[in-house]
Amino acid sequence: MLIGVRAGFNRAAFPDDSRSMRGAWIDTAWQRLVEARNPDGGWGYTAAHASAAEPTAWASLALSAQGVAQEHRRSGLGFLANVQRPDGGVPAVDIQSPPSWTTALAMLAWRLAPPQRDTHREQIALGASWLLSHAGKAVPFNPTIYGHDTSLIGWSWVEGTHSWVEPTAYALLALDAAGYHDHPRVVEGRKLLLNRMIPGGGWNYGNARMFGAALRPFPGTTGVALLALRDHPADSGIEQSLEFLSRELPGVRSPLSLSWGIMALTAWNRRPADADAWLSETFDRSAGESCNPLHESLLLLASLDACPLPINGKSAEVLHG
Amino acid sequence: MASRASSSVTPLPSPLTKGGPGGGPGGVAPSPLTKGGLRGVSVGPQDPGHLKETHQFSRREILGVGGALLLGGGIAAGLRWAGTDEGGQRADVFIGKAASYDTDLTAIIRDGLSTLGIGRNQIRGKRILLKPNLVETATGHAHINTHPAVVVAAAEVFRRFDAADVFVAEGQGHRRDSILVLDESGMGRALSEAKLRFVDLNHDDVESVAKPTNWTNLETLYLPKTVLAADWVVSMPKMKTHHWAGVTCSMKNFFGVMPGIVYGWPKNVLHYAGIPESILDINAAVRPAFSIVDGIVGMEGDGPIMGTPKHVGAIVIGRNLPAVDATCVRLMELNPYGIPYLQKASGNLGPIHEANIAQRGEPIATLRTRFQMIDAPHLRAAASA
Repeated sequence: MLIGVRAGFNRAAFPDDSRSMRGAWIDTAWQRLVEARNPDGGWGYTAAHASAAEPTAWASLALSAQGVAQEHRRSGLGFLANVQRPDGGVPAVDIQSPPSWTTALAMLAWRLAPPQRDTHREQIALGASWLLSHAGKAVPFNPTIYGHDTSLIGWSWVEGTHSWVEPTAYALLALDAAGYHDHPRVVEGRKLLLNRMIPGGGWNYGNARMFGAALRPFPGTTGVALLALRDHPADSGIEQSLEFLSRELPGVRSPLSLSWGIMALTAWNRRPADADAWLSETFDRSAGESCNPLHESLLLLASLDACPLPINGKSAEVLHG
Repeated sequence: MASRASSSVTPLPSPLTKGGPGGGPGGVAPSPLTKGGLRGVSVGPQDPGHLKETHQFSRREILGVGGALLLGGGIAAGLRWAGTDEGGQRADVFIGKAASYDTDLTAIIRDGLSTLGIGRNQIRGKRILLKPNLVETATGHAHINTHPAVVVAAAEVFRRFDAADVFVAEGQGHRRDSILVLDESGMGRALSEAKLRFVDLNHDDVESVAKPTNWTNLETLYLPKTVLAADWVVSMPKMKTHHWAGVTCSMKNFFGVMPGIVYGWPKNVLHYAGIPESILDINAAVRPAFSIVDGIVGMEGDGPIMGTPKHVGAIVIGRNLPAVDATCVRLMELNPYGIPYLQKASGNLGPIHEANIAQRGEPIATLRTRFQMIDAPHLRAAASA
């Protein structure tokens, strides 16, 4: 696989004046991403892997945000449409009985990435129908064991299991983008995320306390949760979570955690001054390896001046001035 | 090995279980479990991360006296206590003494393999996958994870024995970000210096594998292709207590081969399917060749994450994982018969009775040290050594 910037490429202008390129790594990254696309139009978790919904969704969004030629976005969006099932679910992997937590990510891509706004209206509606008809399982509360309200309903990784932070946050982002900002499921989903916040701020996968001990937050899931909650008032918990990210990210050079963290801080108007340098260093760490479409897509999205995921139709500047 | 049919549990409405989405009455398995009493403690099958079944063994059962005992109904229907003979299964387990991670671990591991009859003839040409425990990392909390020095030492031994390929792979259950996990644990730097590659099993291509056993109602297992392509899968766990399973060691370590893109973070569907049952089905499917346990500094208390460091000074090695884990539990001065997955493994996947395990190297008595557990009803049998 060729790696490197092709001389003389005439890239389309960015669709949004608020976005700008930062760093030479960006050209290399989107070039690698384009070249990592599989013949079926999707992207795998690495360049050598079979296409999967998650990296395809993020690659489509990243290439759209970078203003890359439409054919690449269309191919990814088309792949996602092809794998969507009649019930609206978008399977995470091509297996006989797949989980469909990636439905939300496909919806985000269809909603935000296509050249024309309503290109995938039908797929979005089907996906929303699937999300709204699937829910995480509540469990009986035991205060000696759990530190969260186990009756709140969000979204699970696998149908028939408990609700967790990441799939719930993805669902909230997708449903919001599709116009369901005030839907009762979305309202409860936000409540669930707030309830799963770890004492002192931040989120891990979704257990705040176990057997009385407060667990430790992770920068990646903290970023995802803060993105999903970014029109929530900046109360003490949110502030502590933002501070956690601000403390942690200077020492983080891994694509997933750094990207989610920077996108969240950007959405909350706290983008670190050195964010671009960190993103560049992080990309450089993997420059000698084959493309990881998920990682490099998220790095590209995090390179944007503004959060690429609007909430309730508003940008971060409008929400948090 | 014996195959256990699923008991009278309504399939959970998961696409990964028999019955599929929407099957069963709201997905609630009609668990026979009750709080307290002879059935032990359960908070219901819906509870994430909890056991489906425990059994309060009588003293007679714990001592292994008498013949086969038919345990209670429900999930345990058909489960037979194998008794002291354990179906004739026997195993050798080696204990090496290692005061610290600066000890010559390569020599200890080589000696352990040699004692167990493993040398160049058995390893030459093989593709060896080393599976450490990196479930969740935190800077300054090295006791959560398999120490990089043990992994690098094991790799060195396999390389010296002319393995065709030696690499490290993990699908950590809590933190999705493998690179951050490698950074925070120090494993990334150690692997880089040793020129060992790392494979992220959570995001690997997967393949459906028919289960050789039916401890759970999972319809099938999806394993990473990297695992299936390896000739030897070597479990390299940390010796730790576990607030659900009792202990986490060689066998529980294989939750970490189940890909997160299928099973999630955490791998909650395995908790719903039953932790002990999932451990057995996964181990039967993966068929690990070996275990090398980092018991130099383990974890006691609220394992597997929030516990405290506990020095043992041991490297435990063996080809039969129930036997290795039972040995580790004895080193921890806990009760192997009080660990549900070991109860179920006994006489099925391997022996756990001390008389059926040939202890090589250091005797347990010279290194054993009491591991504290959190005080929870479902752990009291394990703590009753």
